[in-house]
Amino acid sequence: MPLKWVLNWQPNAGSTVNSQILNEVSQCVESINGVKEGRWKATLTFYKPMLRDQALAADFPRDFLGISLPEQPNKYYFILRGHKIVLEADSSIQLIMEKLQSYKSRVALNFEGFQYQLGDFQLRVGKVVPTHSENLRGIVMEVEYLPISSLEKSRQVMDEFVDIWQDTVSKRSLPGHFLHIEPNFSDYGLADHYTSQHTAVQYAHVMAQLIASVQAGQAARN
Amino acid sequence: MLQQHQHYLQSAATAAPPLPPPATSTPPSSTAGEAPPKQVALAMDRLGHAARLIADIRLGADRLLEALFVAAQPHQSSKPLHLFRQEDDSMRQHLQDLRTIGRQLEESGVLNESLRSRSNSWGLHMPLVCPDGAVVAYAWKRQLAGQAGASAVDRTRLALKAFTDQKRRFFPHLDDEQNGQGTDSVSKKHRSSQALLEDNQDNLSDCKTLSDVLTSLEKDMPNLKVLTYERLDWLKRASSLPASANDNTMEVPKHNFHSSSILRPGPQTVVSMDKVAVIELLFPSVFRAVVSLHPAGSIDPDSVAFFSPDEGGSYIHARGSSVYHVYRHITEHAAVALQYFLGIRSETALHSLLHWICSYRSLFTDICSKCGRLLAMEKQSALLLPPVHRPYRTFSPSKVSSTQAIASTGDQSRSAPRAYHIGCFSDEA
Repeated sequence: MPLKWVLNWQPNAGSTVNSQILNEVSQCVESINGVKEGRWKATLTFYKPMLRDQALAADFPRDFLGISLPEQPNKYYFILRGHKIVLEADSSIQLIMEKLQSYKSRVALNFEGFQYQLGDFQLRVGKVVPTHSENLRGIVMEVEYLPISSLEKSRQVMDEFVDIWQDTVSKRSLPGHFLHIEPNFSDYGLADHYTSQHTAVQYAHVMAQLIASVQAGQAARN
Repeated sequence: MLQQHQHYLQSAATAAPPLPPPATSTPPSSTAGEAPPKQVALAMDRLGHAARLIADIRLGADRLLEALFVAAQPHQSSKPLHLFRQEDDSMRQHLQDLRTIGRQLEESGVLNESLRSRSNSWGLHMPLVCPDGAVVAYAWKRQLAGQAGASAVDRTRLALKAFTDQKRRFFPHLDDEQNGQGTDSVSKKHRSSQALLEDNQDNLSDCKTLSDVLTSLEKDMPNLKVLTYERLDWLKRASSLPASANDNTMEVPKHNFHSSSILRPGPQTVVSMDKVAVIELLFPSVFRAVVSLHPAGSIDPDSVAFFSPDEGGSYIHARGSSVYHVYRHITEHAAVALQYFLGIRSETALHSLLHWICSYRSLFTDICSKCGRLLAMEKQSALLLPPVHRPYRTFSPSKVSSTQAIASTGDQSRSAPRAYHIGCFSDEA
């Protein structure tokens, strides 16, 4: 399947993300001839184990993530970042977990926004909000190059695209910039040929960055 | 009155062939100077017309009866009489027409056997209507039925066979030209068996046969997968492509242009070189190019198209169009390059084309030789594209294959095939 990079908005020190930035970013996409196509939404859930004896909680991994992706409506992805494990499951697993009362959702976040087409590129700009809330926590972006599936072969093209993108955004003098840190896919046992599992891993890493920047923002304010 | 009327109808129907066929003087012009198929068509026409008239007559009889019935009711005006008169007139007209048709049919031999003895009937016979009304069709009907049942493929095959037979008969000199550019078929076979022994002489004049061209290509391009197909086999492969593209475990043999289909895991049948009509060039993860040869087995390319390595479907062929902009642009450019190669020297066109296609293996890595960037906004479509143009005028296959040798001396800028964005490309390059 076509490969994509997931980028994360990194606000400058001392500033936070707001919907004005989101609007400006959307306008940037349209300024490089992006054609708005439709909406997209992904959901990420932090799970905690349901245990009779809470003391056992330490034996369980700290961050057990589940992600549903719009391009794979029948699948659900689990990531254990600490253990470098990613798993693709059927979407009915959520129902099973609920029935078994094995894991409960601790926090759930939605990534949602608009999708744009730029020739052979497809862009998604999305806000990060907790479910049942409009509190904007972050901004993410997906850059997908449709013709090829190899991460290595596409690296230069994607690098240049992100450079062009960063140039365009920087012209608006926004308090922050987009960041792309590629996770080490081979640690997760993933190959050069791109799959939705790669996307799930990228989101898990983006989540970690988001948490880190939110915590840094809080620390700066205190 | 009813019975009378029915009797009248019956006699009218059987009165259709009243006169003996005109044996003397002028034969009916409709059957004279016309070919048998036209006669048969006319006969069918008339039979149909007769059937319609008979149906009209039956309807008219019903109406007459109805008018009589209404007239029999009390308190009626002159309406039924009016209807009766109207119907009477039209009935007479129908019967008159039927008589005329009957005469025509008889003259053309449908109601008797007068034409059956004719010699040049092309194997077609007129339908015969027996006195009791049954239509006897004989051979012509079987022929028509047979043609209707034949599938388009069969008809095409027959047409092609007829065409090639006629071509062989009337244009024998064209066939001679095809037998290996002035050499006869014996020496051609001899040469292809020596092809593998010939060392890396990148001498274009040596690549005269298809297997020569493909062998030299494989030698020059180690990352390339070259596959050959008969034309219909390619369609099967194209339709199953997404499945095989994602199957990382499939092993592809190295000299696979000798195999007929990548899908058969068992012992692979050899595609004989004289049936090869499609060449597939696959640079994994970069592109897939499809080249069509016409006629099959020759070294004359007639079209080329580029696709994503992940694309699949029956639209993947040498005249197809990719769904992605980048490959569509390359295909357009390749069509021009193909015409150029055919124009300057058609015997080496395939060799040059295939090597030129290989220069696209750097599609996503080589920067534009003019502006120095990888992606650029193309003005017309307002899209970001990598350099999709490779110059063909100054192209030389020897430059491509000896790139490694020259690059080692550090002089890379002159030896690497140049790449250009659409906007950066100018025809002199």
